Amino acid sequence: MRKTLILVGLLALYSLAALGQGYDAMPEDALIFPIGVEGTVYEDMELGVRGGTLNVSNIEDPRGWNNHTAHETSTTWFTNRMHRGLLNLDHISGAVVIDFAKGYEISDDGLVITFHMREGIKWSDGVDITADDVLFTYNDLILNEDVDCNSRDGQILPDGTFPVCEKVDDYTVTFTLSTIYRPILNSLSFNLMPKHVLAQYVHKLNPDVPAGTFNETWTLDTPLEELVGNGPYIVTDYQPNVSVTMERNPYYYGYDPAGTQLPYYDKIQTTIVANQDVSMLKFRNGEIDVYGLRPEDIPILLPNAGAKDYSVMITDLATYGTTWIMPNQDIGIPDGTNEEKRALYRNVEFRQAIAHLLDKDTMVQNVLNGLGTAQWGPLSVPSPFYAGRDVYGGPITENNAVWFEYDPALAASKLDALGVVDQDGDGWRDLPSGAPLTIEMNTNDNTIRIAYCLIMQDDFRAVGLNCNFQVIDFNTLVGQLFGSTGDIIMLGLTGGDEPNSGKNVYSSCGTLHAYRFSACEDPDEIDLRIDELLDLGANTFDLDAAFGYYTEYQQLLANQLGYIYLCQPTFQYTYYNKVGNAFMASPISTPAGNNGLLTELCFDKTL
Amino acid sequence: MKRNGLRALGLMSCAIVLVSLVGFAVDLYDIVATEQVPEISKAAGLNLIDDYISTYTAEELTDLAANGATPGIQLAADRALFRLNDGLLSLVGLDQDTLYAMAAAGNQDAADAWVFNARANYKRPELAEEAIAASQVETIEVALGMLLGGFYGPGSPLGVKPKDELLRLVVVGESLGLRIAAATALTTYWIQEGNLSISQVEAAIRANSGVNPELALAHQGLLTYLYSQ
Repeated sequence: MRKTLILVGLLALYSLAALGQGYDAMPEDALIFPIGVEGTVYEDMELGVRGGTLNVSNIEDPRGWNNHTAHETSTTWFTNRMHRGLLNLDHISGAVVIDFAKGYEISDDGLVITFHMREGIKWSDGVDITADDVLFTYNDLILNEDVDCNSRDGQILPDGTFPVCEKVDDYTVTFTLSTIYRPILNSLSFNLMPKHVLAQYVHKLNPDVPAGTFNETWTLDTPLEELVGNGPYIVTDYQPNVSVTMERNPYYYGYDPAGTQLPYYDKIQTTIVANQDVSMLKFRNGEIDVYGLRPEDIPILLPNAGAKDYSVMITDLATYGTTWIMPNQDIGIPDGTNEEKRALYRNVEFRQAIAHLLDKDTMVQNVLNGLGTAQWGPLSVPSPFYAGRDVYGGPITENNAVWFEYDPALAASKLDALGVVDQDGDGWRDLPSGAPLTIEMNTNDNTIRIAYCLIMQDDFRAVGLNCNFQVIDFNTLVGQLFGSTGDIIMLGLTGGDEPNSGKNVYSSCGTLHAYRFSACEDPDEIDLRIDELLDLGANTFDLDAAFGYYTEYQQLLANQLGYIYLCQPTFQYTYYNKVGNAFMASPISTPAGNNGLLTELCFDKTL
Repeated sequence: MKRNGLRALGLMSCAIVLVSLVGFAVDLYDIVATEQVPEISKAAGLNLIDDYISTYTAEELTDLAANGATPGIQLAADRALFRLNDGLLSLVGLDQDTLYAMAAAGNQDAADAWVFNARANYKRPELAEEAIAASQVETIEVALGMLLGGFYGPGSPLGVKPKDELLRLVVVGESLGLRIAAATALTTYWIQEGNLSISQVEAAIRANSGVNPELALAHQGLLTYLYSQ
């Protein structure tokens, strides 16, 4: 028994030594989050106190602790809390902001980005973080073909080259680009890794270890004391299939305006659960503090919210992604048919008529059970570039929105004006030539998409458009999409913050420019302007200027009605009210979200 | 000392207990042991679950759940046992046919688990209402009623009913499920409003217990909350 106690004591000391003792005082170069500061997106937040444990759940065990070889969110959930990069997403607005860099500047020609690092900041084991760690992470891990790194592709510039990372001094690095490309800033937010710990496992730097060794580094078998990071937390305990414990990094460089070092919570206790239902029940039992609820959870959780002192957030904030219908403007090209229908679909007046037949309110109410919102443009609403904002990263006002309201009478009059009228008295509108007009609407076996299509089919038929809706196999549908053989297709796309990520969809030669692939060879003025705006937005580091370009881009696409947007589910969340600042949860970040951003700003209000 | 006192309370149905040790604003041990109105006794009992878990063995809880002197003691012991056995988590993994059979045999927890597993089928209040109307099993109907109450209550994105309508529905609702739904939603409203005192709620329960059981149940939910404050 005595031996056991001594052993436990030694382990505890070892653990403390691995984590280091922390700073004597707030570092001069600390990163201050403007919590509670008026005029910032943090102004509604409360200053917290340190202490306590945030209890959360995760589905599936992590597969390791190596941030740069992780391919699954069950791992990055933890590594994103252990590591931070030069840049990051703002925890609240989602804009790209400085993080481990205390500043950066871009050369006049836009080709050299110089990062100034925070000085006097240490890894969790107490070793200084320097430019060598940045070069190690970028040149020896990310760009190293021997490393199975998931972020290498994101570093490729439009001309196929990679930025060149060089050291200026111990706290200054440069990235030299072959071409101006603002979206590279997102990619340069890669998490930093400690050279003094990991260089020995990189074959390029240590030929004594076999090639590929780094890919087997920081696995689940690694003693946790060996893990070193610069993020707010470090993993200190792992019980397979049961739990993961993270404890505060004593050398984290984030502070609040009162000088309190972040994170506020001492620990994050993550329970591994089998599925979301278990998470939900654990939340209801008070075993976990926050939960990303699903619509079907709401009626179960709402009644006890007051009694158990938790909040059920039901917001009108759209989540990432888009759903749309797409009249195929190239219909008939592959087999030399449907010339008249193709001309009709290419007429924006016809597509406007279609847009006026989309009863998005009913879709939200009947399909999304009230938990959705109408969409008008191509970019995900949470993006700081979303044109529903007035400025980059500003609040959503929808001042710039382009709406085609549900108005069947207007749609009918537009169809009349196009000569799409019932000429043979069968009750269905015909093509201007008198030939029958039959619209085939297809989607895949997805209950929400099917429900949308049934609503649209009813509205199309109500104005005399003979619309036949059919569910088809997903691969067949995708084949129609890429082969330009479909008629009107209903599908969706994932979304992100960076408009340039949509270049493959919206540029005239994009591989997913499915509403009119022929635009690549035969672009109209709007196609050309959209292409130009995409390039202009990517080729400036002035975010306000980029926002201007992308606003015009989104409005042009919305008016062009290539993809005609429908609705998107909104964001829901629930948390015990004792979790301070959890009310700031959004699609961008939540207290238990994968990117780990909001976690460090939450605190235990009972302390 | 406390443990022995609680044993005396439960096992011997002793009315005099060591209430000062637990620090409640109201004497829950006295209420649970002596209160004759079931809803008031149960509201007290639901606040003693943690103490029962730490005080009694599983065997003792089993006995109390079956033979406790009051409905509150029985309920506290029953819920303590349920929680000791992992609560709903222990049931939701069973297949729906098994749960349904258990529910049909009168197991309310099994019915709750069955509805929990099936809740994605009832994403709109009308769907839950239809299921209640079609239900052949009382426990399932009760569980569906509680789910429907989540739609009827404040904050729901669909199906919110005004309090006046709920007060009518809780008494004259055409089915048990609808009355339970109204009761669930009313409790939510009252907790949110926070303007009823313990004595007012106890009086309302005494007036309705055995007369309007679901209205009394709604007040029981509020009283459970008020006793916990």
